[in-house]
Parts: sequence; structure tokens; C-alpha cells
Amino acid sequence: MIELAHFQLLGAALFAVGVYGVLARRSAVLVLMSIELMLNAVNLNLIGYAAFADFTEAQRALGQVLVIFVITIAAAELALAVAIVLRLYRNRSSVNMDQVDLMKW
Amino acid sequence: MTIGVEWAWVIPALSASAFVVVALFGRWLPTRGAFVSVAAVLLGFVLFWFVLADLLANGGGTFGGGWLVLGDVNITWGVIVDRLSVTMIGLVTFVALLVQVYSVAYMRGEPRYGWYFAAHALFAAAMLALVLADNLVFLYLAWELVGLGSYLLIGFWHEKRPAAEAAKKAFITTRIGDVGLLIGIILLYRATGTFDIGGVIHAVENGVGAGLISQATVNLSLFLVFLGAMGKSAQFPFHVWLPDAMEGPTPVSALIHAATMVAAGVFLVARLMPLFEMAPGVLLFVAVIGLFTFAFAGALALVMTDLKRVLAYSTVSHLGLMMLSLGAFGMAAAILHLLIHGVSKALLFLGAGSVTHGTGRTDIREMGGLWRAMPITAITFTIGAASLAGLVPFSGFFSKEEALITVLDERGLAFFVPTFAAALLSALYMARVTFLVFFGANRGEGEAHESPWLMTAPLLVLAPLALVLGLATYGWTDAYQGFGYFLSGKAAHASPAWLAGLSGGLVAAVIFVSWTRYVGRPSWLPGAARYADPRDPKVYPVTGHAPAWRDRVHRLLVNGYYVDEAYQWAIDRVFLALGRLVALFDRVIVNDTGVDGPALSVWLSAMRARYLQSGLMYTYAMAMSLGAVGLALLWWLAA
Repeated sequence: MIELAHFQLLGAALFAVGVYGVLARRSAVLVLMSIELMLNAVNLNLIGYAAFADFTEAQRALGQVLVIFVITIAAAELALAVAIVLRLYRNRSSVNMDQVDLMKW
Repeated sequence: MTIGVEWAWVIPALSASAFVVVALFGRWLPTRGAFVSVAAVLLGFVLFWFVLADLLANGGGTFGGGWLVLGDVNITWGVIVDRLSVTMIGLVTFVALLVQVYSVAYMRGEPRYGWYFAAHALFAAAMLALVLADNLVFLYLAWELVGLGSYLLIGFWHEKRPAAEAAKKAFITTRIGDVGLLIGIILLYRATGTFDIGGVIHAVENGVGAGLISQATVNLSLFLVFLGAMGKSAQFPFHVWLPDAMEGPTPVSALIHAATMVAAGVFLVARLMPLFEMAPGVLLFVAVIGLFTFAFAGALALVMTDLKRVLAYSTVSHLGLMMLSLGAFGMAAAILHLLIHGVSKALLFLGAGSVTHGTGRTDIREMGGLWRAMPITAITFTIGAASLAGLVPFSGFFSKEEALITVLDERGLAFFVPTFAAALLSALYMARVTFLVFFGANRGEGEAHESPWLMTAPLLVLAPLALVLGLATYGWTDAYQGFGYFLSGKAAHASPAWLAGLSGGLVAAVIFVSWTRYVGRPSWLPGAARYADPRDPKVYPVTGHAPAWRDRVHRLLVNGYYVDEAYQWAIDRVFLALGRLVALFDRVIVNDTGVDGPALSVWLSAMRARYLQSGLMYTYAMAMSLGAVGLALLWWLAA
């Protein structure tokens, strides 16, 4: 029997993997993928609550709507991020995050 | 509707309106507005007679309306019409009228002719408001306007550097005293709760008796008020501005010395006389300052070689005598001397202006024998000088007599003897200046000529007054029982015959000695005329001809006891050093530490903190993650 706790545990694990990836990976592409992992971990939580918790119909529908929104915005954001990474590669012939320190004083 | 005491306020208002009209529209008026100013003061003088007549017939009073209500304080635009203020109104309008008429000729051709008359009107209006004011705030306002008027007129030729400097000096010196006056007024208000002069006097009279107001408060506030009077009336140590004020046009000097400005200080003490009588210590101080100034300035007048400077120091000296009379409880004697001195000094200054106009010179060593060329000026000037010298039938004799007897009766011999000596000094310098200018041989070059009638006419009006005004000292009818009785209701001190004889005789003797010295030795006196040479050492004192101590004394006097130098030293060494210290404090503590300090520390910490921005993405991500974990922990712990 699948319960809410399973959704939460899977979501937490996925989020932790995403955080680790963002912090530890050097490649910008992998960092982006890790961010996607975190987003999806959140989505899992939302869906889990929408499916199991003792909410009203309207509230559970709201959880699903929120997931659709997150997916949409993640797609848009990823398009932008990939474009930035592409420009980065054109300019620096590398997508190594260690070498990208433009965002400072 | 009859014109009477209720109309007194119109007199200053007329001149004030004339100031506005002439200052704003003078350039489009004929004679550039001078006639407006003259007409205003003439009307004022006419009104004065109506006010005087009504005052004598029906008595005076206080008239006015509200001006400001600040909390419980009600300040009015009120005028006091009493014998003191009306007497002053008469003097001020009269002298201002003559001086303005004289100025029409004297100032002809000046580039700022209209402005001169505008400033004149302002000056007269301020002085008239000052003598009429019934409360201390209004009085202080007028007092400061008098200062402004003097500044504008002394500095009338402000293209000349000395004139600009003199105007500044007059303004600042009197301002120093005015600060005292302002604090004194505030202290009086704190003690009594009113600005109304009558109310203050009443409250202090009752308050001191009932123990509500301490004697120390009265003493301190009156001392401070007297500081203001010292500044305006050029008493030592504030006298320094007055000789320098000679840089202004000569008619201005006549006005300042006779009717406005310097009379203000004497008037203020006279107006507050009931208060001063409750502070005998302060009154003694007034007497000491007056006596010191009387003698001190008289000696200076003796050695000055500039005609106007002689007259200036003579004014300082006579103001000292007025203050001394006030210090001897002699309000009537002081005001009488103020009147007679005012008339005589206006005459002398206008005469001096006429001499300058006729010869183009101001140095008395370059004059002599001018009576041939300028008979009217010579005769009128001599009458004025004789009046101030205190020669017997002239009016100055009577007022000086009043002052002397007041001092003798109230302050005793210790004050009387120096006063008497200083009075002889004034006879000596007046004789010296008259003889050097109008008699003896002409030491100057070039032609002298008599002045136009507009300038001699005021002289001819003033001279008879300087001759006979002294008769007003004594009562001649039952209706008029002497000036002292007229003014204060108290009978004047009876002048003993021995004093009249002594002072009259000594003054005559002093003048005779002066004649032998500066004009020539009469043939019936033994000894030859030793100083026939016009460049003789009596006229041109040179070092080396006299014993060394006399040179030293002469140098000391010519330099005015080095008071100006002492002030300059004090300003350079003390005030500027203090100023530099304050400036340093301001720069280092206030500016560099107080204002720039926080700004600098923000900048410095920003310079350190910016290295937190590594630009590496994962440092930001790590900080964000740790922050989120921290927040979660906090939330969890708190729950």
C-alpha cells in the first residue's frame, strides 16, 4: 500500500540528490539537470498531498494545478538557462562552473 | 476732530511712509524724492506742536493697538505720549528737518541723492518710534532700526573703503551692546511677565518690595540694558565707533550726534529711570562710566586735528556728562543737556560741513581766519562752541550748571571735582577748535567762500536757539516752573551763586588762555607773541620741541589711548584664535568624525564585505542551502 510518507520520502531523497548535484557538479548542464530534479521533487510532494491528504475536492485540484504550473515554468526557465549555457560555451569553450565567476563585484 | 495727543503715532509713521515712497518711487519724482522726505519731517514737526499743546492742556497717555499675541504675552504697537517723549519728538523732528533742508544743498550732485533722503527718513522714523514706544519689544525693534539707519548713512559713500569700514564698525560695536539690551529685556520679562514699560516699572516696584523679584535680577537686567545704552551712546569702552562714523556725510554726523542714534542710549536710561532708581548699584556704575567717558573723551578732543573728529570726541564727552547726570538721579538735567547739546552740536556739525564745503578741507591746522570769508558760518559756529564750552550767557552754561549741581548734590565732591575739571576741558577744546578755524592767520591755501543759503539758513535757525534755549532751565511763570519740574514734576536743584560764578569765571579764563595760545597775545600782557609763525609747534605739535613726557602724552591722546589698537590686538590674538579653535573643532570633531566618520566606516566595511561575492555559483548555492537548513532548524526548534 502506497502512503503519503512514500511520496514524501521519495521527494526528499530526490531533492537531496538535486541539492548535491547543484553544489557538487562542475558542468553547467548537470547543474541544470539537478535543478530539474529539485523541481520535480517538489512536484512529487504536491501530487502526493493532492492524492492522499484529507482535503476538499477544490484544494486537491489546486495541488494538481500547481504542479502543471511548475512544469510549465520549469520548461520556460530551462529554455532560458540552456540558452545562457550555450552562450557561455561559445564565449569560453567550457561549461565548467568553476571557471564562471562573472557574477561578482 | 481736533488734532491732539492721539495723533502722536502719525509723526514716525509719516517719516516711515516717506522712506517707502522715496526708496521705491524716488527716481521718478522731482528732486528724486527729497521733497517727500523733507515734507514728511516738516509735517511731523508741525504735528509736534499740536501734540505738545494738547499734552499741556489735557495730559498725555498711552495709545495703541494689538500687534502680537503669543500665548499670554500681548505685544502692542503702543505709543507713550508724555513730557519726556514729546520733548524728544520735538528735538528729533526739529533737528532732522534742519539737517534735511541743509542736505538738499550739501548733497546736491550725489549719485544716490534720492537714497540719501530715503535713509534719512528711515533713520528719523526709527528714532521717533523709539522715543514713543510703550513696550520694550517695540522699543527694541526701533532701536535696531536706528542702528540700521546709522549703518546706511555712515556708509553712504560705501565706495570709499574707510566709510564702509566705519559703517560696519558702528553697526557691530553697537550690536555688542544691543545683545546686552536684548538679554536685559528678556530678563525683565521673565521677572515681571510683561513687556509694557509702565507695567514693568509697576511690577518691579511692587515685586521688589514684596520679595517676588530679587534685587540681583533687577541689577543684572538693568546692567544689561545699560550695556545697550552704552553702545548706542558711545560710552567707554564702546565709544570707538563714533569718531570713525565721521566718514559719513557731515549732515549725517549732525543728525547722529544731535538727535538720533547717540541720544537713544541716554533716552533709554531716562525712560527707564524709575527702574534704575531701584538699582542704586547700577546707577552708580552709570555715573562712573559717564564720568570716565566725560573726562577721557574730552582729553582726546583736545588733540585731534580733524575738525569733525574734534566734534566727535566732544560728543562722546558730552554724552558722558549726560550719563553722569542720569547716574546722579538727574533725569531732567540729562535730558536738558541732551536738548541743548543736540541743538548746539547740530549747529556745530552743520557749521563744520559748511566750512568743508567752503574750503574743501577738514584739517584744522590748514584753516584759520575763516571768519572773513565765511562770516555767517563763523558767527553761528562760535555761538554753538560757546554754548558747549559753557560760556556764561549761552545755553550750554545752564545745562552744564544743572548737571554739575546734580552731581554735587547726589554724588558728592569725589564725583564733582573731576566733573568740573572735565567741564573746563570741554571749554578748552571748543575754544581751541573755534580759534584755530575761524580766527588768527589763515594757514591754508586757496579761496574760501560762504555756503549757499540753504546751508546757512539752518545755521541761522539753530544759533539763536543755542543762545537762548538755556533760559528754559528755570521757571519764569507759574505755568512753567523750570525744565526739571516740567519733565519730572520734581523741582530742579537750586544752583548756588558760588558755583555759577566759579564755573562761569573759570570757563571765561580758560577761553582767554586759549586765545593767547592760538590767536595771539594781547599787547597789554607781558611777554612777546612767541608763536607768530603759522607752522608753530602749538598748532603743529612736533616731537622734539617739548619734554619727552609731553610727547608721550600727546602721542597717547592722538592715538585715542590706543583703544582701537587694543581692540585690534584682542580681535587678532584672542577672538580669531578662539575662532580658529572652534573652526578646528568643527572640522575635526563635527565634520571629519561626526559626518564623514559614519560614511567612511560604511565604505570601509563595504570594501571588506564585497569579497564575499566570489562570483562562483556554488558558493551562493551553498549559502542558500545552508540558510534554508538553518531556517528549517530554527523553525523546528521553535515549534
